[in-house]
Amino acid sequence: MVAAAMTGAERISIVDGAADSAQIAAFERDRRELIRRGLAFGGAVAAASSIPLLLSVRNAFAAAGEADKTILADAIRLERIAVLAYGQVIARGLLSARVERLVKQIAAHEREHAGALTTALTDLRLQPPPPPTAKDIDSVVEGIREIDSQADILNFAIELETAAVAAYHDAQQRFYDAKLLQTVASIMASEGQHLVVLRQALNKPPVPNAFETGSK
Amino acid sequence: MDIDSFLRDRQSRRRFFASSGVSIAAGPAMFLAACSDDDAAPTVRKEAEAADVEILNGVLDLELMAVAGYKTGAAQLRGEALQIGKLFIEQEQEHADELASAIKDAGGTPNRAKSSYDFPELRSQRDALRFAVELENTAVAAYIDALPKFTSTDLRGTASAILTTEAEHLSVLLGVLGRPAAARAFVTGEAA
Repeated sequence: MVAAAMTGAERISIVDGAADSAQIAAFERDRRELIRRGLAFGGAVAAASSIPLLLSVRNAFAAAGEADKTILADAIRLERIAVLAYGQVIARGLLSARVERLVKQIAAHEREHAGALTTALTDLRLQPPPPPTAKDIDSVVEGIREIDSQADILNFAIELETAAVAAYHDAQQRFYDAKLLQTVASIMASEGQHLVVLRQALNKPPVPNAFETGSK
Repeated sequence: MDIDSFLRDRQSRRRFFASSGVSIAAGPAMFLAACSDDDAAPTVRKEAEAADVEILNGVLDLELMAVAGYKTGAAQLRGEALQIGKLFIEQEQEHADELASAIKDAGGTPNRAKSSYDFPELRSQRDALRFAVELENTAVAAYIDALPKFTSTDLRGTASAILTTEAEHLSVLLGVLGRPAAARAFVTGEAA
């Protein structure tokens, strides 16, 4: 078990797994920045095996000079992995009927996002990326397997959605195509609404910040 | 005008936002976006900043109106809804302050709030919440319209962060009204 050097409600437990210490340190830096800005993560659990994915999502748009097509491919991958992750969560049977409906709706939205982004990529006469690999999926699924309560699943979903917001926030500053910018903005706003309903399901403040930038 | 008539009549809403000083710049600035800050000639950079200032003042007008709208509506709110209203006033003010700061940084002069707004009559908590939904929807649409027009990538980042927060406000308000809080996969708002 690796835990952040925090106290009380700020403590985040990280279940040991595939992530190395550098990855966990990077993850914690982001988390501390979030807490400094006023977000609360009391009792949150993050599976170490999910950290490489979350970090890769956060960093997916960080490289300078990314072309629209690369950003789109990364975004499609992110949405597809989210769909798979939510499917795995639902299959665990740990969710109440109300929360299961909520997660199913979010998963349906992610599927729509992936579809719209794939269309955008195709419009650029480019091939969509291949489906996520087993390694990609394992990085999420293994983490989910170690979580054994609805609250943990909701925290995991918040992590995923927060990472998505961060990724799309980065993308906003890198796209140049006007239509793509607007499509991505409408998706980013949708991810923000997912965060609201997930936070409410955990009795957390639904809009803790005036500027929703995700986990950067 | 009562809130039902206001929400039913699209032309009334458009007139209201126009008379409230809300004018999202429609001029395309995309040609300027191709010029990075580093390689742009001073004249082009000034034009780009002027274009950004115009767009920023458009969304600033909306934020200032939202602050006034929430303050007006707060008189009808109670309990949890009132707490939400107070929080959203603070957050809309933060947006306005950030936009005003960006306008100054770009060499412009931020617009000020109007001395009064001709808001529809809000007689109940439900009226106030429905009007707030209208304000947030309009803001979401305005930011989505504005985003590609910014020449500064930093401003796009700021605008998208505010846009997402407005979408979150919308979600909370819809939930309090007993409506689906996250019903759509693509949140685009509704243009005034």
